[in-house]
Amino acid sequence: MFPTPTITHWLTLSALLFSIGLYGIFTRRNAVGVLLSIEMTLNSAILNILIFNRFVASDEVDGQVLVLFIIAAAAAEAVVALAIFVSFYRHRHTLDVTQANHICDQGNSTS
Amino acid sequence: MHDGTVATLFFYLFAVASIALALGVVLGRRLLRSAVCLIGVLGSSAGLILVLGFEFIAGIQVLVFIGGIVVLLLFAIMMTSEGHTFEQRPSAARRVMGGIVATAFFVVTLSVYVHTDFPPATAEGLAVSHEDVHAIGRKLLSNERDGYIVPFEVISLLLLAALIGGIVIARKHDPEDT
Repeated sequence: MFPTPTITHWLTLSALLFSIGLYGIFTRRNAVGVLLSIEMTLNSAILNILIFNRFVASDEVDGQVLVLFIIAAAAAEAVVALAIFVSFYRHRHTLDVTQANHICDQGNSTS
Repeated sequence: MHDGTVATLFFYLFAVASIALALGVVLGRRLLRSAVCLIGVLGSSAGLILVLGFEFIAGIQVLVFIGGIVVLLLFAIMMTSEGHTFEQRPSAARRVMGGIVATAFFVVTLSVYVHTDFPPATAEGLAVSHEDVHAIGRKLLSNERDGYIVPFEVISLLLLAALIGGIVIARKHDPEDT
């Protein structure tokens, strides 16, 4: 009924997931929402690397090792971003990225 | 790729599920619901990775991405929601701009994919080897020319730095010791 998925099908799926995440990054107003979209784009990048590892260089494991590094970097990024968000929320009592125009303590007015 | 028909069926199943849930993550106005949808997206991606034949990476995806990162995000949502977890709608201009950027990216990428001649997949090339984990471990810790021992050590330093940095940034600052 459906065609057997080739590499183009797989890559199209991954690109579609990436563009949905890109739309989320542009339209989200809550900072944690932006981070959710970023995690989704990271996930589609992982999928892309694995697709190329399977279809182009299937006797190597370099793609899988690379994906392990990406997942570790994503974990580090999530930790630091969430610490910044918690600190930011404590100072400003909001996480709206359109209000985030300075990071130091001076000038508490939300212009 | 164990069996052609079953792999095809699961590919379309997980593809539809992940795209629908991804739209749920992006378009929903409730952050908690978006986070739960993100769990679904990452779970379907783990399924897709399994269809590709990478069992170890699929397990890592579930353990670290879903079990670690998304749970961290859920904590952040609950710590920073002031009674309501709704989010204001983005302005129309912002939505149009995001739509244009996302569509442009997708169209350009797809045209590149369509006009590229990928090497044809051979049956023995797609055969799934179950010795993957041994090879990954050897590759990760070998100090040969093609080994990854230095990035491995650097990423462990990065994780330690992120851990300490997260604690320092997020802790309550005493007013006297600036």
